[in-house]
Amino acid sequence: MDIRFSGASVSFGERTVLQPLTLTLTERRIGIIGLNGSGKTTFARLINGLVKPTTGSVSVNGLDTVRDEGAVLAAAGFIFQNPQHQIIMPIVHEDIAFGLKNRGLKTDEIERRVAAVLVRFGIAHLAKRRVHELSGGETQLVAISSIVVTGPGILILDEPTNQLDLRNRRLIENTIAGLDEHAIVISHDLPLIERFERVLWFHDGKLVGDGPAPETIRAYREAAEC
Amino acid sequence: MTTRDLVLVALFTAIIVVLGLIPPITLGFIPVPITAQSMGVMLAGCIIGAKRGALAYVLFVLLVAAGLPVLSGGRGGLAIIQGPTGGFILGWIVATYVTGLIAERLVKDGQNEIRQFAAFFIASVVGGIVVLYAIGMPWVSMTTGAPLTDVATGSLAFIPGDLLKAAIAALAARAVLIGYPLLPHRA
Amino acid sequence: MLNGLNVEGSTPLHRMSVRTKLAILLVLGVALYFFSSLFVLVPAFVLAAGIYFTTGLTVRDGLSRLKPVLFTIVILLIATAYLASIREATEAFFRLMALVLFAGAVTATTTTGDFIDEITRLLQPLDRLGLVRAADVGLAFGLVLRFVPDIFNHYQAIREAHRARGLKVRPLTILAPLIILTLKDADTIAMAIDARGFRRPRSDRNR
Repeated sequence: MDIRFSGASVSFGERTVLQPLTLTLTERRIGIIGLNGSGKTTFARLINGLVKPTTGSVSVNGLDTVRDEGAVLAAAGFIFQNPQHQIIMPIVHEDIAFGLKNRGLKTDEIERRVAAVLVRFGIAHLAKRRVHELSGGETQLVAISSIVVTGPGILILDEPTNQLDLRNRRLIENTIAGLDEHAIVISHDLPLIERFERVLWFHDGKLVGDGPAPETIRAYREAAEC
Repeated sequence: MTTRDLVLVALFTAIIVVLGLIPPITLGFIPVPITAQSMGVMLAGCIIGAKRGALAYVLFVLLVAAGLPVLSGGRGGLAIIQGPTGGFILGWIVATYVTGLIAERLVKDGQNEIRQFAAFFIASVVGGIVVLYAIGMPWVSMTTGAPLTDVATGSLAFIPGDLLKAAIAALAARAVLIGYPLLPHRA
Repeated sequence: MLNGLNVEGSTPLHRMSVRTKLAILLVLGVALYFFSSLFVLVPAFVLAAGIYFTTGLTVRDGLSRLKPVLFTIVILLIATAYLASIREATEAFFRLMALVLFAGAVTATTTTGDFIDEITRLLQPLDRLGLVRAADVGLAFGLVLRFVPDIFNHYQAIREAHRARGLKVRPLTILAPLIILTLKDADTIAMAIDARGFRRPRSDRNR
């Protein structure tokens, strides 16, 4: 993975939401922290091109998020805070299969890949279930599966444990730990990212902390307690 | 069409389906019970506008045609579209478009609440009643052989209920315009 | 929550393509209006009834589906008999019922999935012209089925909240909150769809 920000900033009219940033992300586990409104979500969305930089540029593995929009979306999957909004088909396996439908794959190949990803995340028993009947954690896993099945090498997760109870939280924590893909996780749930290689801390649209998880999180905690 | 518009259309169609699950209300002076779903045309046109509202009904009619029991009372299928009320079902699409067109033109920001209510009410009556019946009644006449004038006379019984629906829809549309404006209208 | 009205089976009608069935229905729907002779309309009715009741529907099921339409038809035809002539009412009855029964047979032998796939296919020419995205139909259809249960839950939650506050539950007080609550989610849902790369332009589709 090689994500590069080159003087990338985001402004909406007069308001600058994210100050110009130049950095490179290569680590396997990266956390993003900050208060609400700090720019952390905008930063995450710059990575897969959901938000385009007002100045500068962002590239993912050599692909520019503006020029190579489609390829960037294929390389970096985004899992939103509320998995309910992310799943668009009524039955679990339909939603996961939907991502593969427009790729000209044969039906049995699609079936195979869907089955494989369901097994991978331990939710094969949920294949025919209706999405609205699932628990928070199960829905989150379905959302993750539906993104992973299309083969992105990078996953960006926005507050994945936000709405989960203790048991479901554990489930997601273990799932993220076990991912082969690179994971970039925005989280208020600090224990979730405690053992990550690198954590970026945003405040007021600026990057105010960038380093190994323990130090950056400690600094963030101290600042929050003042 | 933007993805957002597509989602708005689909969500509104889903709302119309849910309206069909709400039990009808019987009011003393009105011969036919009022179903929430029958206000759908007026609501769609007044809330998401002509184009999206009409598309929401195209999608709804496709659901019915595909054999889903989404009409209130758990009805669905091609048989109903083929039957005497088929003209009304297909007419919903046009009626919503007209309601939306009028609402988009008449509603303005900064109008007082009476004027906005009147705008939505007029849009609902012209689209949801006049245009709808203009399409539905000839179909009834053609399929059953009943003379058009008699069909029209018979339909008069539904008008009081329809006017009440238009009023309710207008009030609801106004509340939505304040809470979460989606109608393309003049600033 | 929503199951289609089709029934399992392998009758000729089941095996016929959706396109053919719809085409026949369309042609019949126009053609039968050119005939007023009972020698044509009665056999048509009998044939349609035969097809309808051999699709695999139980007689009870088949009749209960017809009830609402039948009710409307009978009332209107009584009016026709009185206002026009008994002859016209009789013709209308056999013609209408033939079409309604055949349409019912098509619905009973066609899955909702196949129907929507066919609509998508029929839109391909317009897709090529850049006027519509044929794939949007399947996507929109899925979205409706996906969110109906959630919206119904919203409705029940709003109703309970009203009751808890001692408010009488009236359509007026429920409609606006329900609609706002539902449509507010449109933005995030749309963003999730875009993030999954589902509505890319044609040139980008072969990845």
